[in-house]
Amino acid sequence: MLAKILSVAHLGLKTVPVEVEVNLSPTGFPGFSIIGLPGKEIDEAKERVKTALANCGFAFPTAKIVVNLAPADIPKEGSCYDLPIAAGLLRAIGAIPDRDEEGYFYGELSLDGSLRHTKGVFLLALSAKENKIKNLFIPSLSANEASVVSGISVYPVTSLKALINHLNNIEPILKSVKTEKQDETEEIPPEFDFDEILGQEQAKRALEIAAAGGHNIFMIGPPGSGKTMLARALPGILPPLNEEESLEVTKIYSLTGNIPPGGSLIKVRPFRTSHHTTSRIGLIGGGSQPHPGEISLAHHGVLFLDELPEFPRSTLEALRQPLEDGVINVSRIAGFAKFPAQFMLVAAANPCPCGYLGDPQRECRCSPRMISRYQSRLSGPLMDRIDLHLNVPAVKVEKLIRQSRIQADEKADLTRSESSRQIRKRVEKAREIQNKRFKGIGIQVNAKMRNKEVKKFCEICPEAQLILKQAVVNFHLSARAYFRVIKVSRTIADLTGSDEIKPEYVAEALQYRTRFEN
Amino acid sequence: MKISHIPIIEITPDSREWPELLNQLKDPPKQLYYRGTWDAALFEKSLAVVGSRRMTGYGQRVLEMLIPSLVAEGVTIISGFMYGVDTKAHQECLDCGGKTVAVLGGGLDVLYPPENEKLYEQIVGAHCLIISEYPPDQQPQLWTFPRRNRIVAGLSSLGVLIIEAGEKSGSLITAELARKLKKPVFAVPGPITSSACAGTNKLIKEGRAKMVLNTGDIVSSQGLPLRTQEEALKNPAESNILDLLAAEPLTTDEIAHKLSLNIIEISQILTIMAIKNTIEEENGKYYVI
Repeated sequence: MLAKILSVAHLGLKTVPVEVEVNLSPTGFPGFSIIGLPGKEIDEAKERVKTALANCGFAFPTAKIVVNLAPADIPKEGSCYDLPIAAGLLRAIGAIPDRDEEGYFYGELSLDGSLRHTKGVFLLALSAKENKIKNLFIPSLSANEASVVSGISVYPVTSLKALINHLNNIEPILKSVKTEKQDETEEIPPEFDFDEILGQEQAKRALEIAAAGGHNIFMIGPPGSGKTMLARALPGILPPLNEEESLEVTKIYSLTGNIPPGGSLIKVRPFRTSHHTTSRIGLIGGGSQPHPGEISLAHHGVLFLDELPEFPRSTLEALRQPLEDGVINVSRIAGFAKFPAQFMLVAAANPCPCGYLGDPQRECRCSPRMISRYQSRLSGPLMDRIDLHLNVPAVKVEKLIRQSRIQADEKADLTRSESSRQIRKRVEKAREIQNKRFKGIGIQVNAKMRNKEVKKFCEICPEAQLILKQAVVNFHLSARAYFRVIKVSRTIADLTGSDEIKPEYVAEALQYRTRFEN
Repeated sequence: MKISHIPIIEITPDSREWPELLNQLKDPPKQLYYRGTWDAALFEKSLAVVGSRRMTGYGQRVLEMLIPSLVAEGVTIISGFMYGVDTKAHQECLDCGGKTVAVLGGGLDVLYPPENEKLYEQIVGAHCLIISEYPPDQQPQLWTFPRRNRIVAGLSSLGVLIIEAGEKSGSLITAELARKLKKPVFAVPGPITSSACAGTNKLIKEGRAKMVLNTGDIVSSQGLPLRTQEEALKNPAESNILDLLAAEPLTTDEIAHKLSLNIIEISQILTIMAIKNTIEEENGKYYVI
């Protein structure tokens, strides 16, 4: 008896239809084998399928069973083939009727025959729509992911038993309906609000500029100055994901199993943070079967790298290409994958190995040689891809308390910290201006402008030009640094709502020029 | 805008506009023709910038470095509208919003060199001056260019700056004219291996030109204080910052708090002050120099 069930395989973000062929041959020595380049998980599927069938009251057939995952030359991995293999067996033994046109089966089985949340369902649904497959049989816990895709019928399957009853028209499974977009209006508060951060006015302004123009930012400051807190407050001032961005992020999250059971579209901008012990593949992506790394998980969001000089040089240098192109190409013997990686890099570092260089309270214990060695771990080409550089000074605690009291009393309107919501309004306005400007060019934010666009969109008045040219000489700016200052000036102009780049914008942008030069 | 549509105005030594500077010449021109906007203030702090027609990358970088700060000091750049150093000096000056005066070797209606048509329009458009002593339709001749140099030298009140000059460059004629007029001659040194700098290096070696390494060498050699520093003291915010920093080095946030100014304004002011070299930043703190 031969049964064929449709399912899919994931190759990076691409999805390929897979035919799961199950053959039951009464002659020959009994056995159960899976072929078609299965991974370890798929090999183990045998035990899960066997036990699940038994626990649903089916005697496992004593026959020679061969499961072929076609096309046979594509390596396959994941636990999603449990359900198609089980369905194939059931069809081969005649427990469910043999019909064509049925649809994709996808999901991991539990030993008791119930289905578990499985990653990649969102991609499966997109592929079903593309290949005009009408029905999806997927774990009920993952059904919300698929139901956002219109034009397909999603059957949330709770257990093998329920599936058998449905296919035999005994007790039909109700189609999953698209969940209403009720969560869109409600706001998820960020970890830190800007008005909770005392002092650090310059850093806050720099983050506002970074958020408005999508610029990468590098913060240097002693331990405890609030670099991490500032970075974590950043998502709160970023505009929410638009529909297209949300789809792209959801794809990656679905593929990597980052969508919780019951979850659907990702609407919050990702904020990913990586420790310096993260491997290069973990950060950039790769593996024998190409997998997205942290930079892709931070797509359309923020990637925060604390203690940047502690990262291995090879890891940091690998960041250069994705920072430039917004995609990462992973080539392996098993295949080639392209993952999007348009992220805002927020990096932080101490000024020296001990961390207290320039601190008013504590003496720095580092020798000049140690300091220069520490700083030179960050290569020029990497620093060249970061538009905003800023010093985050240490803040004395007493000072903070005192000053905040003065603020509250005397000059409440002048210097009181703004809330993230207020800042985000300005950021959103600046982004709107940019969207209009770059319509049809394929870039979204000022940070992504190439020299061609800088020349086209950044007209600088003579007085501003004068400041810029003097700065090139006095601050020893490189050609790249020069263009970075112009881009940042453009963003500051957008935040102000000005078409022209005025001298004061250039002057402010120059505050954020590279300082960690090597 | 067609160049020929812009009116040409003729002045003679009797005219009110006639620059006094030209009367010091042994053979002052009998008349001048100009297009643009005549303003006597243009010649109060004026510097002739001349050099080789075959400018090298080095000369270009020198101009990019010196002209912006000269413009910031309010210096008018006078040059000969020829290609090479002349063109770059005019252009760089206009880009920074500075004032420039071009003295042509031919009539005002003869566009020479023809590539400079846009520059011509820009100079007139920026309310600067294009001058010639020849009637509008006079073609430039080999002998008119050296004659033109005496006007370039004559109109400069601060002296003549030579950027790059080979051993037989016409710029050396301008230098000689300036010397005879007892005006300071400045020269930018160049690599001793470069023939493009042989003339300037020789002027420095023989003590006939003052060596220039930065704008201060030109402006303060006249006994004039640097305008940018003078202005800093006049600006209340900047002088307040200088007072604060004289006591102790401070971070941007601290300065903003002490002066109750918002961080955006403070950032702008600090950049301008750092450009003017009145303060310096290290590890996030500002110091008075």
